[in-house]
Amino acid sequence: MKRVGIIGSGNVGANTAFFIAENRTAHVTLVDVREGLSTGKTLDMMEAGPIRGYSSRLTGADEIAAISGHDVIILAAGRVRKPGEKRIDLYLDNSKIVTELCGRIRELAPYAVVINVVEPVDSLTLLAQESLGFDRFKVLGVGGILDGTRLRYLVSKAVGVSSREVSGLVIGPHRRTMLALKDTIRVSGVPAAFFLGEERVDALLEEMRGAGDTILDMAQHSTSYWAPSAATARLVHSVVVDTRAVMSVSVRLEGEYGVTGLCVSVPAVIGKDGVQRIVDAGLSDSEQKAFLAATADLRSAVEQEKARRMAR
Amino acid sequence: MARKKVSIIGAGNVGATAAYYVAEKVIADIVLVDVYEGATRAKTLDFLHAGPVRDYDVGIVGSSDIAAVADSDVVVITAGMPRKPGMDRMDLLKVNTDIVKGVSRGITEHAPNAVVIVVTNPLDIMCHVVLRTTGFDLRRVIGMAGILDATRLRYFVADAVGCALADVDAMVLGGHGDQMVPLPRFTTVSGIPITKLLDGATIAKLLDRTRKGGAEIVSYLKTGSAYYAPAAAAAEMVEAVITDRKHVAPCAAFLRGEYGIENLFIGVPVMLGRNGVERIVELKLTEAELGELKASAEAVRQGVADLDTFFSLK
Repeated sequence: MKRVGIIGSGNVGANTAFFIAENRTAHVTLVDVREGLSTGKTLDMMEAGPIRGYSSRLTGADEIAAISGHDVIILAAGRVRKPGEKRIDLYLDNSKIVTELCGRIRELAPYAVVINVVEPVDSLTLLAQESLGFDRFKVLGVGGILDGTRLRYLVSKAVGVSSREVSGLVIGPHRRTMLALKDTIRVSGVPAAFFLGEERVDALLEEMRGAGDTILDMAQHSTSYWAPSAATARLVHSVVVDTRAVMSVSVRLEGEYGVTGLCVSVPAVIGKDGVQRIVDAGLSDSEQKAFLAATADLRSAVEQEKARRMAR
Repeated sequence: MARKKVSIIGAGNVGATAAYYVAEKVIADIVLVDVYEGATRAKTLDFLHAGPVRDYDVGIVGSSDIAAVADSDVVVITAGMPRKPGMDRMDLLKVNTDIVKGVSRGITEHAPNAVVIVVTNPLDIMCHVVLRTTGFDLRRVIGMAGILDATRLRYFVADAVGCALADVDAMVLGGHGDQMVPLPRFTTVSGIPITKLLDGATIAKLLDRTRKGGAEIVSYLKTGSAYYAPAAAAAEMVEAVITDRKHVAPCAAFLRGEYGIENLFIGVPVMLGRNGVERIVELKLTEAELGELKASAEAVRQGVADLDTFFSLK
């Protein structure tokens, strides 16, 4: 079995370990600087193992050196967003952590595929790729796949069918400017608009854009973690088992979709090397325009973030 | 035929994780009830969003109103307070008795035909509170204890033997806590008793670690306690009842003379099916094993005596 190292034992990190065990994907080493936390959580999961039939070995550690030589590394450290917080403040705190961690990962696991879940995800996936100096296809961010699962749930509920029947790709920045590809939103291959009408679909897209905020507002002291962990574990599974599933992930574009030097979610074939190739979903003119506007907006945010980080 | 319905009371880590395990089994729609309405609704929405990537499509609803349990087939009670610094055992017993009593009243009113699975601690005593308050048939009130203790022992044995987790079965009887009675003769690797695979000193160490299993997790987490394994154990019981699996596993059940124990909830092997405890399996125990079980029963009886000092149905 391959080995996955997860850095950060908060709700997202720990539950990603949990879902990897549930998927029977790989052995996991969970690391956090908070002493004992990773050991306690992985022991609890291992004790559920006989009932759940796990074949993974889950281990906790307080030292990042424990991820040495692992095949996949997940960045789940840093802190989560507070209600109403500005992105830049979250970025400044988390970018420091991501830079430090990437310095260590470069020595400890130089051949790993690295998956970033730390927010703001597109900015920090780019920063991780630059700090690591890894091939751009080996550094992935969890963005579109999470927005996509939320969209698929909302459509399934509106149509009144099982969510297994529903497809839907969401690309672009993992923020309100995200872009759902209308033509991919289908129920067993039938366009969702056939069941719901265009207006209703548009309303669901708006609901999807606010889904993360909705959970944050309701729960107050905690952000969503179940769907993000499940999505991350799904991505890990595709890498470790080399399933070649097509998923929307944040990856550094170099000309694809008309964008260069930015990490943003696009559909890609996911396999043992990370992104095996980027898939051209054939955007309509208006979609291409919206995508470029969203990425231009992201680029100016990324530039501001970089300037603030450098000035610090 | 409508889907079955499972309600889980208490949306803390154990309750929420149990809801998730039940969701993934795709055997029932789920209601999660907690006094914290916002947090509960946020959690259920998060679960629903994960459905498409996890391949489950059941309905999951969060509510702060106990009436939401209406017509449930199974209700799991996880609500209760953890012991806080400065709280003595009796204070905790009183607080959780009040919570569980209130929940039980709601179940009696809204889900009178449900099988009730109790998870709140002190477990064996809370089973008494539920039985007394609901007045349900005693086969329909079951406590989650032995499966959790057994899964911990199974993991420790697998680790010691170096075999797959699924190869190991274990039997742990008695009260939930320090007084549990693990049975090495009925703890096996692919059917082979561990007494034939491991030496006595090693087995004693594994049993001791099992007895302190909950405390070990707390010692690492510091500010929290175990929830993945407890939730998995509770969900296993839910599945056995909902799918009428006739699953034999150790659970807290009300004894009326079995094992020579009268009128007491305590952990013994039971057969779980749609009616709850469908049979109590009476193992042939050695005198020493039976002695340990009786001592454990006496400790639980002392807890029930404490309950009797203040419990009233009013």
